[in-house]
Amino acid sequence: MSDDNAPAATGAPARRVHSSRARWAVPGIAAVAVAAAFGTPALIATASSSDAPDVTAAELVARVADAEPQALSGTAVYTARLGLPEIPLSDVSGADPINLLGGSSTMRVWTDGQDRSRVALLGATSEYSVVADGPEAWTYSSEDDAVVHYTLDPADRARYDELAQDASAGRAPDVAGDLPTPQEAAQQVLDLARQDATVAVGAPTTVAGRDAYPVVVTPTSETTLVARVVVSVDSETSTPLRVQVWSRDDADVPALELGFTDVTFAPPSDTALEFSAPPGASERDVVVPLPPEPTPEELADAEAAGAGDGALPPGTTVTGTGWDTVVETAGVDVVDLLAADPSSVADLPPGVQERLESQGAQDLYEEFVPQDGSGPVPELDASTLYEQLTTEVPQGRLLSSALLSVLVTDDGRVLAGAVPADVLIDRAG
Amino acid sequence: MSPADSHAPLPAPAEPARRRGAFARTVRAELRLVLGRRRNVVLLIGLALVPLLLGVVLYVTQSGAFAGQGPGFIGRVTGNGLFLVIASLFLCLPFLLPLCIGIASGDAIAGEASAGTLRYLLVVPVGRGRLLVSKAIGALVFAACAVLAVALTGLVAGAALFGVGDVTLLSGTTVSVGDGLLRVAAVVVYVGLSMTGLVAVGLFFSTLTEVPVGAMAATVVVAIVSGVLDQLPQLSAIHGGLLTHHWLDFAEFLRLEPDPGVLVQGLAVQAAWLLVFGSLAWARFTTADVSS
Amino acid sequence: MDGIGLEVPQGAVYGFLGPNGSGKTTTIRMLLGLVRPTAGAAWLLGEPMPDAAPQVLPRVGALVEGPAFQPYLSGRANLVRLDAHDVTSDPRTLRRRADDALERVGLAAAAAKPYRQYSLGMKQRLGLAAALLRPRDLLVLDEPTNGLDPQGTREVRHLVRELADTGATVLLSSHLLAEIEQVCTHVGIMSRGRLLVQGPRDELAAADGVEIVVTVPADQLAAAAGVVARSGLGDVQVVDGRVRARSDTVGPSSGDAALEVPPGRVSAALVHAGLDLLGFEVRRPTLEQVFVQLTGEGFDVAR
Repeated sequence: MSDDNAPAATGAPARRVHSSRARWAVPGIAAVAVAAAFGTPALIATASSSDAPDVTAAELVARVADAEPQALSGTAVYTARLGLPEIPLSDVSGADPINLLGGSSTMRVWTDGQDRSRVALLGATSEYSVVADGPEAWTYSSEDDAVVHYTLDPADRARYDELAQDASAGRAPDVAGDLPTPQEAAQQVLDLARQDATVAVGAPTTVAGRDAYPVVVTPTSETTLVARVVVSVDSETSTPLRVQVWSRDDADVPALELGFTDVTFAPPSDTALEFSAPPGASERDVVVPLPPEPTPEELADAEAAGAGDGALPPGTTVTGTGWDTVVETAGVDVVDLLAADPSSVADLPPGVQERLESQGAQDLYEEFVPQDGSGPVPELDASTLYEQLTTEVPQGRLLSSALLSVLVTDDGRVLAGAVPADVLIDRAG
Repeated sequence: MSPADSHAPLPAPAEPARRRGAFARTVRAELRLVLGRRRNVVLLIGLALVPLLLGVVLYVTQSGAFAGQGPGFIGRVTGNGLFLVIASLFLCLPFLLPLCIGIASGDAIAGEASAGTLRYLLVVPVGRGRLLVSKAIGALVFAACAVLAVALTGLVAGAALFGVGDVTLLSGTTVSVGDGLLRVAAVVVYVGLSMTGLVAVGLFFSTLTEVPVGAMAATVVVAIVSGVLDQLPQLSAIHGGLLTHHWLDFAEFLRLEPDPGVLVQGLAVQAAWLLVFGSLAWARFTTADVSS
Repeated sequence: MDGIGLEVPQGAVYGFLGPNGSGKTTTIRMLLGLVRPTAGAAWLLGEPMPDAAPQVLPRVGALVEGPAFQPYLSGRANLVRLDAHDVTSDPRTLRRRADDALERVGLAAAAAKPYRQYSLGMKQRLGLAAALLRPRDLLVLDEPTNGLDPQGTREVRHLVRELADTGATVLLSSHLLAEIEQVCTHVGIMSRGRLLVQGPRDELAAADGVEIVVTVPADQLAAAAGVVARSGLGDVQVVDGRVRARSDTVGPSSGDAALEVPPGRVSAALVHAGLDLLGFEVRRPTLEQVFVQLTGEGFDVAR
């Protein structure tokens, strides 16, 4: 029945061992194929260079300023590596603007290029949406099924309509917990680029699969924490696709990055741009006053002009210029504020020179403070968070991040700026 | 005297010919075994009880202080029974579904080996590759049944307890019942497909041992460890490839405009696990000695 | 495992004998393609294994190391399940084939009972039924009586003999000498991974000749020894009041014809010499003795 003496047996062992090894090679090949399939797109993305024609920095900035606002929809990823202490973000399960403090967040953006837009911050199984539709805006949090409806009061509404008819883009009401988009962020940076910085164009690159020019804004100041800001602008539509803020601390990765990973230049569907409160959702109305100076250009100028024009709230002083600006506010009892009284926060000014940064900080600040007893982050104890984010220094408590330093002194002053902490401590005396 | 002389030699049978539909027969036999097994039926019933239990609890407490609260989609169930399907899947995803699927897939080969039936199947003979594929189909069908058990009881219980209405998406937009049903169906399909990688992992472990409990436990542990690793920010570089990372992406179907890119990415990761561990299982099973 | 060639003639019941752990089961597993040889190759029915398994194994029914079936399925359903995995079997005749097989092993009455309710003997029978599910050229039965009570053992042996009577070729492995002696026509003896000897049982038993023991009254012992020695037997000695001598095997044929000195001639010579022949015994060596002779050690301790 079996016969090991058969001549055919001589060749068999080698073949069998071989076939056994060959079988184990199959999963090896499968693993390599999988690695290749998942790795290649990334490699191609980094390796591909754009062949867009050269432009000068001035041309490019002008192009961006003149560009027609584009209707688009897309996915943007925001990544913050601010070097903040670990925040117990596991307490914050769903999609919430507080996630922007650290780590990576994904957003979906729809805009018609005019005054209608929707930005949704994606959580694993939740979403936080900000919908702006002309003079109205909504935020909707799927986590607690809550709508906040922002409107203008009737007088402002009339003024808004007038402005809208003048074809200058109307200014939508300010939304607490607003979400940044690459375009808005870039616009703010380029507005600031003119002061105290050199502007250059880097080698063409690819963002969200599109050719883009990086506009590199390098502060002339040696003091500021900001090493450079890179705004990548779509070569075709001149729409900013990505903003990266590089800190002096880390030359490898940007401290802040907000850019499209996927973008389509086409008008989004109406369903994306409109909003009506879903049945059963809790709804809160907020009437927002229209600012006295309504056009964004004027506003930007006012901000660029900086201190001393009387627009600052009482108790606020600004020292330094350009990127080194430090804003000092006196008479704020942060600890009390966190513990109880939310109303006094409203007066806390945004950092003047770095609006992207300080706007976010203010939003966050407001997020921490319970409003009407039902803040967006009810589980997160604001005082605890404050303790965790800041460190003890002789003058008070210091929040130090890769791009921004905030010093809260024991005598009730708050100093903030895109400068190293030492500068603030010196300033505080 | 040799007995061989006393009997006429048996006529040598013709070379055995493969019959059409033989593989279908094998698969049917495997399915009968998997779905007829009492333990597996009990697992399916247990899974089906989850939405029932959840629905009843929410129904009883819906006028209480905790109405409309809860992680995931639990808070929405009382408003719309369709969400009971999603909330139940969400609850079962981290542990119960991997457990049941780990049991079925870890048992596939190791169970036969430990019972000794594997050697009898192999001398029938059945090709090892074919046997593995039929086992994989059995485990995959069981995984599908597990997901469907949750989904269908969720749908029935949700509709009975809370009614079915227009569906409010995560973005706050409300869509019609028909659209909502389609989206929920898509969620169920996505969750089902999300389990394929785990089935492959279980099948591979199942070929490594003759102790089915070991293979089952290892499979469940893989799912749990993957979930834990997914929580570690230090490992964010590998998160995208983790077995469980994209499981919750079923939520994409509840967003305003589901992004096919996200869904394809999640399914591609499952396909990758299926490919790698499927081929590992194949290499192991077709070369292993069966000595049980 | 080294150079084992089991020559099982068609229609033979081949007893594959060896103590526990001698390599019988491993050999059978290799033949059936369950285990790959670390080096070398295995052939079954002239085909290489496991590569030719799809062609060869349908012709082979096997019972390997005790029966094993799905405990929750009935005996019949287990047969159906096994057959469903056979790509060459005909599903249309399955019902009849399953019924026949169950009938043959006497399980028809218990066909619908779940396997786990079967007694050990019934399980063993079901294993045989699975091996008989279709016509086979060869039945490989590894320890078919393992764990059975005497009644079950008798039944299984009876069944094997029945199968052999219908012309089936059977390879029966066992560590029980008695079983092989009772059932088999051919024997192969294995120890420590080597096949020591094989051949028809009668030839094997006679291979080393027979011992002839003559009992005569004490006063005639010397005379008897003289007669025995003269008749041509060797090793003549007087032990315990008996005359013992050997008759070696010389010819290729089996039985007494192969013996150098046929025992009948010796007894006739003794009677002719006028001795009072009280007893005349021809002791053939048992398989155990053959084994001990071959290995120089006891059967049960070889490991």
